[in-house]
This record gives sequence, structure tokens and C-alpha cells, in this order.
Amino acid sequence: MVGEEHVSMLPQAPTKIWKAEVNGRQNEILAPSNAILLDVLRDKVGTLGVKRGCDMGTCGCCTVMIDGVPRLSCLTMAFEVQDSKITTVEGLSEGAHLAPIQQCFAEHGGSQCGFCTPGFLIVSQALLNENKSPTDQEVSCAIEGNLCRCTGYQQIIESIQAAAAINRGDVEPAKPASEAHSNPHPSGPN
Amino acid sequence: MTDGYRQQPGKGSDVRVDGKRVAGKLRFNPPGSGGSRPEMKERDLDFIPELEGGNEAQPAGSHLHDKYRTGTTVGKRTPLVDANAKVTGQAWYGDDVRLPNEIIGRILRSPHHYAKVISIDTSKAEALPGVLAVSTGEDAPQKFGVLPVTKDEHAMAVEKVRHVGDLVACVAAVDEATAREAVSLIKVEYEILDAIHDPKKGLLDVDEPIHWRGKYHIGSTNVQKRVFQEFGDRSKLDQSSATHHGKWKFMGVNHGFTEPHAVVAHWDSNGRLQLYTPQQVPHYAHRALATVLDVPMHQVNVIRTYVGGGFGGKSDPFPHEMCAAILARKAGRPVRITFDREEVFWVNRGRHPSHIEVEMYADDDGRISGFEIDALIDGGGFASFGHVTSYYNGVLATAPYELGSFHYTGARVWTNKPASGAMRGHGAVNTRCAIEVGLDDMADQLQVDPIDLRLANLLPPHSKTITGFRITSNGMRQALNRVREGSGWDEKFRKMPLGKGIGMGCGFFISGSGLPIHWDPNNFPHATVHIQIDMDGGVTVHTGAADIGQGSNTAVAQVVAEVLALPIEMIHVRSHESDTSPVDLGSYSSRVTFMNANAAISAALEIREELLNSASNILEIPVEKLILNDRRIYSKRNPSEGVSYLEALHKSQEDKGALIASGAYRTPPMGGVHKGAAAGLAPAYSFSAYVAEVEVDVETGLIKCTDVWAAHDCGKALNPLAVEGQIIGSCHMGLGQVLSEQMVYGRTGHLQNPNLLDYKIPSVHEMPNVTPIIIESCDPEGPFGAKEAGEGPLLPILPAVVNAVYDAIGIRVNDLPLTPDKIWSAITKKMKLEGIDDPQNLPPPRLDFSELQEKLAARSSEHNDRDVRRQRAEDTEPYINGVLFGFDPNTPPEEQDGDWKISVKPTSEQLDNLRLAGSAWSKIEQRKMEDGK
Ligand code: FES
Ligand code: FES
Repeated sequence: MVGEEHVSMLPQAPTKIWKAEVNGRQNEILAPSNAILLDVLRDKVGTLGVKRGCDMGTCGCCTVMIDGVPRLSCLTMAFEVQDSKITTVEGLSEGAHLAPIQQCFAEHGGSQCGFCTPGFLIVSQALLNENKSPTDQEVSCAIEGNLCRCTGYQQIIESIQAAAAINRGDVEPAKPASEAHSNPHPSGPN
Repeated sequence: MTDGYRQQPGKGSDVRVDGKRVAGKLRFNPPGSGGSRPEMKERDLDFIPELEGGNEAQPAGSHLHDKYRTGTTVGKRTPLVDANAKVTGQAWYGDDVRLPNEIIGRILRSPHHYAKVISIDTSKAEALPGVLAVSTGEDAPQKFGVLPVTKDEHAMAVEKVRHVGDLVACVAAVDEATAREAVSLIKVEYEILDAIHDPKKGLLDVDEPIHWRGKYHIGSTNVQKRVFQEFGDRSKLDQSSATHHGKWKFMGVNHGFTEPHAVVAHWDSNGRLQLYTPQQVPHYAHRALATVLDVPMHQVNVIRTYVGGGFGGKSDPFPHEMCAAILARKAGRPVRITFDREEVFWVNRGRHPSHIEVEMYADDDGRISGFEIDALIDGGGFASFGHVTSYYNGVLATAPYELGSFHYTGARVWTNKPASGAMRGHGAVNTRCAIEVGLDDMADQLQVDPIDLRLANLLPPHSKTITGFRITSNGMRQALNRVREGSGWDEKFRKMPLGKGIGMGCGFFISGSGLPIHWDPNNFPHATVHIQIDMDGGVTVHTGAADIGQGSNTAVAQVVAEVLALPIEMIHVRSHESDTSPVDLGSYSSRVTFMNANAAISAALEIREELLNSASNILEIPVEKLILNDRRIYSKRNPSEGVSYLEALHKSQEDKGALIASGAYRTPPMGGVHKGAAAGLAPAYSFSAYVAEVEVDVETGLIKCTDVWAAHDCGKALNPLAVEGQIIGSCHMGLGQVLSEQMVYGRTGHLQNPNLLDYKIPSVHEMPNVTPIIIESCDPEGPFGAKEAGEGPLLPILPAVVNAVYDAIGIRVNDLPLTPDKIWSAITKKMKLEGIDDPQNLPPPRLDFSELQEKLAARSSEHNDRDVRRQRAEDTEPYINGVLFGFDPNTPPEEQDGDWKISVKPTSEQLDNLRLAGSAWSKIEQRKMEDGK
């Protein structure tokens, strides 16, 4: 903090019960009535996959899906979205299985340092839910609010298009670098 | 949808709900069960070099690691080994570390540019309920800094604050709100001093320099470092047939990584500090922590979290890391400090704001007779990596061209701004931009194609630059040819209509620095890698190389997998903790692939040998007749005669248990002997050439870069997916610097845009179509031939765009970033000057070739043959810079020609006509004053 003005942060706002479904689980959490959704998700719900990159709506790292719509959790009051259905990056995978969008980000270089990745995954999943065959331009428009400093976006767009193709059933998912082996230690007959 | 993600396949099937296979899953039979079934993947001949009997073409010749290629992963598009953690939200970055009982730290920062701290009263803060610790500079009087020669930082202000945002005190409290309030309760009394914001003023004597270096202080100025270098024959420069004079201004830029700094400190029950931090160079932080906290190094364990982007901005030891440790010690509880985005700009360490002047000369043969560079760089409040940056601004301009002479004067000054430091393309970016634009201008004057001008002046592979850098592999020529073809250059250059332009630029960068920053004890290796394999067959690789998203864990895993012929899923890279990782100098200077992968190869080779020996024992087949492939070792002649990897492993483990091997890498001795000869020395160098196409709206001055053809010579792409990612990402970052990014300091010196809204990082809409082109020149010393790919690709994009803008509208603006207002005012100025009333009538530049063009083309085709032969080691004659000018490569040029000079200090006549940064040499060091000299 720059400066020396005395700012009183106390007393805190009164706490209330915040109810919402996060990644398919009902949550009832005691939170200050002025709590920010990002803080509640990270500190109380424990979905640390939601990242804080700027706290002012400029980076998109904190994007979560609220009732199917991607929103910036750093600019959302928790009680504004009371009783909603929230999906974070942790909720994208299907049990033990990566969702195609996750798989494709991994395989096509859509994630380098990975800090922006949760946000990108959420906006692209939301896009693919709405639009099965987006054009590159539509993909760009969907991710325009998200900042990535590592990839230069190109491989992110490729990842999203690859996931769209898998979702449509156009292509088989790409094989991993080395194939799954039924027997990890094969040998000759002797 | 279900809750969470389970990494381990549980009871459920290994087929996904939609019927597809599970990601990267590898099923394991119980250990020891191998050896009975002959199933195994075929050798992947497409990834085995042709000289070893495979199908992989080797235009650049053979490599000493060729015989260890097993076709397993090297050269294949390999997803990052930690990609799954990143796409599932499980990767834990600095702020994701949650320890039991943790409390929150906040930092009080200076509101003044430059002031003496008279007193600090923390009593009210301490009295606030919920506050557990308060600390000020008094608690940590020790100085630290990333370079041992310039330690000038404190954990918190001791006596002075040096920029707005400098640390004054810190507080730890039960929650953030309490901590914030406590910070605001600290009363500080300052005495305001005269601040300096303009780096030019930093060259002058002042009453109160920002730092005082005692007898080494230069006058009483704010000059932190000055460099003077003169090489070659400068006496005939005035007879040149083309000269370029460029005066440049570069604004400072920030790394803009998405993860703000965060740190968690915890003193465990044995009094050891456990520090969690997203660091590129955990080892330097480790050293600095030990110094500042006054504990032995072994009492500190630095745990590197996932790093949300580094780009050089997380490579200094940081004061907030010290603060967290001090607070945690005082409070007896773990302390977490997380920055908000504004604070990221206060620690900065971004690219130096610079004033760069270049003078360049070419003779009537189209040879480059001289580069004269003067660079004044604004270091901000602290030294950081500045000592090195001061050199890099000059010396990294000495290749890829053969020069008649080279003269560099540079100075880095302290000003009252957040410190500048290392950023992707460290020190080389700005000068590179200036000289590449200069070459474009000289090509114009000589009426030749700028690509041909370059092609006719390249240093060949296996040569020496004018300052004595040893160039080994060099793919510059292929890079130029490939972008020329790819972009359709010959049909477009100087032929497009107004508002559309094409331009090019080249790059040259180090692949690891030749001297480690800390070189005690003297023969310490640059990188060490330990490999350990227990009876389960999984391979644990310990390395200190910091994976900052560039994929260093993946690169290390790949080379180990390749040598041992194991699936990459069986390689587990541990690089998080200083307790278990061998010391490593971290991720900077583009050193990791080159040095760590080399160390990893040598460790893996030890293991490979043991396995082969055991297999040979069991099979009674000599080692030379065995090959490794996919978890099996078998006879070359009869593949059915063989053993499984586990069998061989267990045989090797008899009586001793786990196999352990250690490999290290050190650079070979090289370089000149002059002062500063070590700066810029590297075991290998990367080369790149870009062509950019832009559209300029002449009515508004808005530039849009539409296409980029980006060729980068990375020696050998261990992982083309990652190399392409680095190339495209570099384009993005460089494009930001050339078009929109700048740290704006207002008239009062205050940083006006410390947030990501006003600091304009290109969004997806500003990104051009990038066509990455990988050039493989096969470096003789690189791991499997590889060199760096992380920083070099940034350099050429800046000049390529500036040159393309000239091609589009005939205007050069030497003031980055090229924001619309600057372009527009340059357009209006030109219209006034030439009496044009409508910007649509501006004449775009055109080119008629002179006779020289053919001469250059002939020379470059001659050189082409020479380079191919040298690259393939068919021609091993020595080659030094100067051969193009008629020098004999076997004797140093200074012995052949009396006018050929090497000097690192100005003579007294030179002192009288120094340029801007050079004028730092007119001041005398304090110790010389005392001597009365
Ligand atoms: S943290 Fe919400 S947009 Fe950056
Ligand atoms: S992957 Fe690092 S910011 Fe996007």
C-alpha cells in the first residue's frame, strides 16, 4: 500500500449464509455480506484453481461459469450470485477424465505457465456449449477478455478448435506422446 | 459433473464417458512381472537420425548425441509433463500455498520518490488487535542483490526510500483487512530529497546520489555502471558510401506475467525456514535469504511453486521474500504475502527505458564497416541485473554480421523509479531494434534488398565475432532464406500500395551465459542433475532448473526418456525444492535447455551404461551389439533375444539398491581477455529472422500487424510444440513493446499506469497470424543439438514491424511504442514538409536496385557454399570476424594491422567527444580522486 492515510477496515460487514452450487456440490458458507466471489471461492470453498491476476477485471484469470455464463469472479459480489450454479476449472473434468477442452489445451500448447489457463478453459467451454462450430473470429471474440502472456493466443485458439472438433465427433482425440501400454515391461521370449 | 479430478484411475473404467481413452494413462503391471512378453513398440525410425540408420534427415551433419537417440520423444510434439495439473486447476502457484495457521502480511510502501526516513512509529499498528508482527528496516540491515558485485538492496528501507513503492515496513495480521489497517497506522516521518527521473540527469554530479559506492563511486553522479569498448579499425569510417544515424527512445516495459508475486514463509519446528515462492532462480533467493536472515544456507529450504510466468521478472531475490521470512520468525506462524497488480509494477525489474544512438557505416562493397552504439539505460532505484544489461546493450549487437569496427559506450544510471532488470531478450532487444532498422535504411541508401545486404555480411558457422565470442552452429542464412520464401518477400517488398508494408529484422541471442553469476567455488558446474531409479522402475530426476512455464521439466524428462528409451510418463522430474534439488543457477539467460538437458544426458548415460552392462551379462551379448527400445534391451541382430528394462534394472541393483547417477555441465573455456570479455559469452548462440506485414491507417496512425513469418534457429527442436509456443509468445511480447506497451511516468515522475488496463498488453485481437519456422542447425555442444528458443525469438519482431511501417508509409519513427499519436504526428509533419494535403497521397517508398545488388547476391551465394561446408564440418579452417575485410584468420587482426584496436577505456582525446552515455566516462572514480590521479 502506498501512502499513509489511516483507513479503518474494521468492523467487517455482518456475515450471512451464502448458498450456491459449486461444481455440482451444494455449499452453505458463512461469509461477510460484502464478500467478493473470488475470495469466497478461493478462501472458503477451496477452489484454488480460480486465479487472481489483477483483482480489477482486466486479466480474466478469475473467470468462472455462473449459470452457464462466464463471469469475472473478482468483480462479482458473492451474494449477487446467491443460489446459482457455479463451475470452476475443477468442475470441468468428468470424474477421472479430462474434458476434451482440457485435453486439447494440454496437447496443443494452449497452456504454458498455466496461470491464465483456468480462465481460458471456462470461457472456451462456455463458448463450445453455445456454439459447436465456432469460427476463429468467434473464438477470438470469446477469449478477448482473457490475457495470456505466454502463448500469444495462437495455440489457445488451436486448442479450442481441436476441442470443438472432438466434441462434434469429427476427430478422434490426439494420441499422447507415448501410447498407453498394456504391459509396461515387455521383453523377449527368453 | 462430479466433484474434483482424480489423477489416479480408480475403480472406474479407463474409457471416458464419451467412449474415448483416458488422458495419458499408463497401466502398470506389478514390478518384476516383465520379461515374459515380447510386445513392444517398433523403433520410431522417423525420429532416429539417418546417420544412425533412421529416417530423420540431417542437413546440418551429425551430432555426438546421435547414437543415444532411441526415437522415444526427442523431436516429437510433446505436451508439457505438468500440463494435466495446469488444465485441472491443481497447479499450485505462490498464492495457492495454504499452510495451517497462516497469517497475512502486507507491506507499507513509500509515497515519495526519494526521501530520508527520519523515524518510523509502529506502536499504533502493533497495538491493533489481530496484529501479530510488525517489522521495519532495522530488523534486516544486511544488503543483498542478485549480482554479488552490486548488492544494494535492503529488505525494507534503511535510512532512505528510493522510489514510490519502495518498501518501508511490513505487518502480519490474522487477516488481510486487519493487516491493511495496521499498515495504515504506521507513522513515518520523511525528509524529502531531490528526485531524479530523467536518466540524462543521472549522468550529472548531485549532492545526494541514490546509492553511494564508496571509492568505486563514479564522481558523485548516479552512474551505476559504464562501459567503453572499441574494436577494429575506425579510421576510415568517414569514407563510407552509406551511413545511418539513428537516435532512439525506448520506453520501459514490464513483464506483465499473469501471476502477481506471492510468497509464503514458515519456520518449522527445527528452526529451518521453508519459503514457498514462484522464483525463476530459487538459488539466488536462497543465498540472499541466508545473508539477510543471518542463518546458514542449509537452514533454508526454498520451495519453488508453479510460476505463473517469469520472463526475467521473477529472477531477482526480492525484498518481500525477506519480509515474509522476518514476519514469520517474529510471529511464529506462517506468513503469506500476495501482491496486488499495482505492487507488481512497484517491484518492476522490466526492460530498461533507454536512449540509444547508433551510427552505422557501409562501404562501397556493401560491407558493414562499423557500428557505433551509445546506450543510456535507466536502471531505476536499484542495480538488479544492471551490470550485465549495460554490457548486453552493446556486445550482443556484434553478430550475426561481420563488422569492420565496433564501438560501444554505455551507461546505466540510477533514477528514482522502480528498478529495471532482466526481461526476455535481456539487454539485447532495444539495440537490436536500432541496428536492424539502421541496416534497412542503409540498404535503401545503397539501393539493395535488405535481405541480400544481410546475406552478404553474415558470419559463418564456427567463427569468432569481433569481440571474441565463439559462434558454433549458425542457422542465420537458412532463417533468412526461409522467411524470404515463406512471406513472398520478393513480390511484396517496396511494391505494396500506401498503407501496406512488409519489413524484416534479425536476432541474435545467448544460449546460457558462459560465466555463472556466482562462481564460488571456482570450478562449480553450471548445472547438475541427479537421477535415481529404484526397483519399481520409475525414474526420478532431481534438477534445480525452475520450470516457469517454458517447459524445462518437460525438456529434462524428454532427454532422460530418450536416452533410456522409456515412456516419458515414467520420468518424474523433481525440481521444486532446494533440499532435494542440486544447486542450479535457475531459469535466466536462456540457459536451461542447453545446460540442464546436457547435465541430464550425462547422468542418464551413466544409468544407460549400467543397464546395458547388466543386460549384456544376462544375455551374454557384448554391449555394442545391444539396442535400447521401449523398455527393452535386445540384440541388434535378433530382436527376440533380449531382456526387459526391469530385468536389466534389477540385475544392476543387485547388492546396492537404487541406481543413482549424477551429471553436470560446465561451459568450455572460451572468450577474450579484455575487461568485460565475459559479458555475452555463451556456449552457443541462437539466430532468428522475421518478416512482418503491417497495415497502417494513414488517417489515424493506427498500426495493425497482420502476419509474421518467424524463423528461429534453435539448434534442434527437442519439442517442436514448445518451440513454436515460445516463438509465438515472443512475438506477442515484442509486439506489445513495439506497438502499445509502455510504463508511463508523468511530469512529476509518478508511474501513471500500474495496472493491466492502462498498461496495454496486446489482446487476442492485436495478434497477427504467426507462422513459426524452426531452423535446426544442430549445435555441436547442445543436448541432441539444441539451443535456446525462449528469448531470442523476441528480438526480430520489433525492427521487423518498424521497417514494415516504413515500407507502408515511408516514415520511420524512432520512439517506441509506435502509438497512433506518434505515427499521426510524424505523418502530418511529413505532409507539411513535402506539401502534401491528403495523407492518402503520401508516396510509399520504392526501390530500384543499384549495381551493388548483383554483387551482393553473388557474394551471398558464394558464402552460402562456404557456410554449408563449415556447418557440416567439411571445412574446419578457423574463421574470425575480419576475413571479409581481408584479414588472415590465423592471426589476431590487431597483429596484422596497426589501425586495428582493442580498447576498453577512452583515451584522453576520445574523452573530449563522447556521446550521451559515453559522457559518463568524463567523471572520475572516487578512489582515483583520492590518489590525486
Ligand atoms: S482477477 Fe479478475 S479479471 Fe483479473
Ligand atoms: S500460459 Fe502463462 S499466461 Fe497464459
